[in-house]
Amino acid sequence: MQKIMIIEDDPLIREELSLLLENEGYGVVSVTDFTDIPEQIRDCAPDLLLLDLGLPEQDGLTLCAGIRKSSALPIIIVTSRDSSADEFHGLSLGCDDYITKPYDVPILLARIKAVLRRSAGVPDADVLAVNGLQVSLTRGTVSLNGRSEELTRNELKILAHLMTHAGEIVSRADLIDVLWENQIYIDDNTLSVNITRLRTKLKDLGMPDCIRTRRGMGYQL
Amino acid sequence: MTIREFLSDRLGKITGQLCCTVSAALFLLATGTSSGVIVLLLLFLLLISITTQAAEYLKCRRRLSELDVLMQGLDQKYLFSECAPPPRTVYEQKLFDLMRCSGRAMIGAVSDAQASMQEYREYIESWVHEIKTPLTAAKLTCRHLEPDSRRKFSAELAQIEAHVERALYYARVKSPEQDCIIRQTDLADIVSQAVGNHRTLLIQSQMKIETGDLDFTVYTDRKWAVFMLGQLLQNASRYRNNDSPSILLTATRCGRQVRLTVSDNGIGIPAHELPRVFDRGFTGSNGRTRGGSTGIGLYLCRKLAALLEIDLQISSEEQKGTAVTLTFPARQAAETLQDCKTNPY
Repeated sequence: MQKIMIIEDDPLIREELSLLLENEGYGVVSVTDFTDIPEQIRDCAPDLLLLDLGLPEQDGLTLCAGIRKSSALPIIIVTSRDSSADEFHGLSLGCDDYITKPYDVPILLARIKAVLRRSAGVPDADVLAVNGLQVSLTRGTVSLNGRSEELTRNELKILAHLMTHAGEIVSRADLIDVLWENQIYIDDNTLSVNITRLRTKLKDLGMPDCIRTRRGMGYQL
Repeated sequence: MTIREFLSDRLGKITGQLCCTVSAALFLLATGTSSGVIVLLLLFLLLISITTQAAEYLKCRRRLSELDVLMQGLDQKYLFSECAPPPRTVYEQKLFDLMRCSGRAMIGAVSDAQASMQEYREYIESWVHEIKTPLTAAKLTCRHLEPDSRRKFSAELAQIEAHVERALYYARVKSPEQDCIIRQTDLADIVSQAVGNHRTLLIQSQMKIETGDLDFTVYTDRKWAVFMLGQLLQNASRYRNNDSPSILLTATRCGRQVRLTVSDNGIGIPAHELPRVFDRGFTGSNGRTRGGSTGIGLYLCRKLAALLEIDLQISSEEQKGTAVTLTFPARQAAETLQDCKTNPY
């Protein structure tokens, strides 16, 4: 389990962030005493640091520079200071990413994931599999029992999202949200069209009722 | 100062002199001086007076033009009395003292105003940063709500965020050099970030986003460009056509510049209001009937565009839509701009 250390002085954000990251399957350590942060970092050896800049005891940038001197620990600065100069300064001090508040939760998670992946040098899982159905993200194909079909970019994203949330009901609005995050600016009608095409392809593979419509709620794999 | 102005200024004095001379001549004539001598004397006096007046005129003119040059060379005109050459006569000295006294009062008032502006700007900036913490907390917390209220709540939060952002840029536009870093940036990145920032609003408005060729590199400040584009996207959503609204973002190269066009199929702007849409606080008939318009977004766009040397143009047709073009400067222009700005590093 990868461990993330949260250095944030606002108690509510700290609490919510811990909850969010724990739900995502990370180990979380929140710092509540801001006096000897470097020591705390050494003690718990996290895989990633989420660092707020406006700390009570010490400026976050100084802290970031201090940590960088002795370790290559990935650092994401999460701050409300949003000027280009601040960002430039932060990145030049060696932080791995710079996210400004108020951030969107999915974006924060995606960037945490990206930094962790980069630092570990492990490629993202390429193949998703649910009930024998396999999706290759790099090749953009879906396969079942040795037969495969090519997917368009939109279909791939939709199916991948449904598969990572297999069993859950995914609302149309959530799907649209996910696609927009991937720079696919889809509207309600286009989503329906894409779902229909996806179902046809899955039917051709021999899984006709793979994506169920839950009336008034969304889709379920 | 023209000769006519000089003479009309001296009219009283010259008339007085003339009266004195005429009465002296009459007196001399009465006391038996020959008219020939008097004529000679008068000619002589005339010569002297013309010469002195001419000399005085030239002196006056030289001094005025000296002061004129000084004034033109001054960056802050109100500092004139501090830089003016010392007076030569007692009368000038008195005037000079009065002027300097008034100038000093002005300098004081100006620097007080500047200081309080600066303080206010700093307060707004720090306020904006403060408010972002509870906003973040609210955004994180609203995940726990059931989907429908979460969506409504997120939309409201997004609106608050947009207002806060405008306040921040309003403060920044007053002293831009503190925050501008011109760098090579992908136009596609700017667009996707701006669309991403306003995702909640755009999805809620059921806006269809179409993108054309955006594969260009521009030289600009990314954050500012994203902010400007964000204002345009917000306007397009606010003044959308309720029947299948859409926004098209596309770019073309023209010469060494890159032109980004943001066009929508919204309700458009009446022709007579179009020239004023960039004015501060101008909301127009659309803004009044729909409400919620602040008249600040496009004003800030124009200001920021001027600072980034982006040419901003708008065209619109009622019930057809509005198109805004942003022409990004060629590389050289952007580089000179960077030289002018104080880069903190």
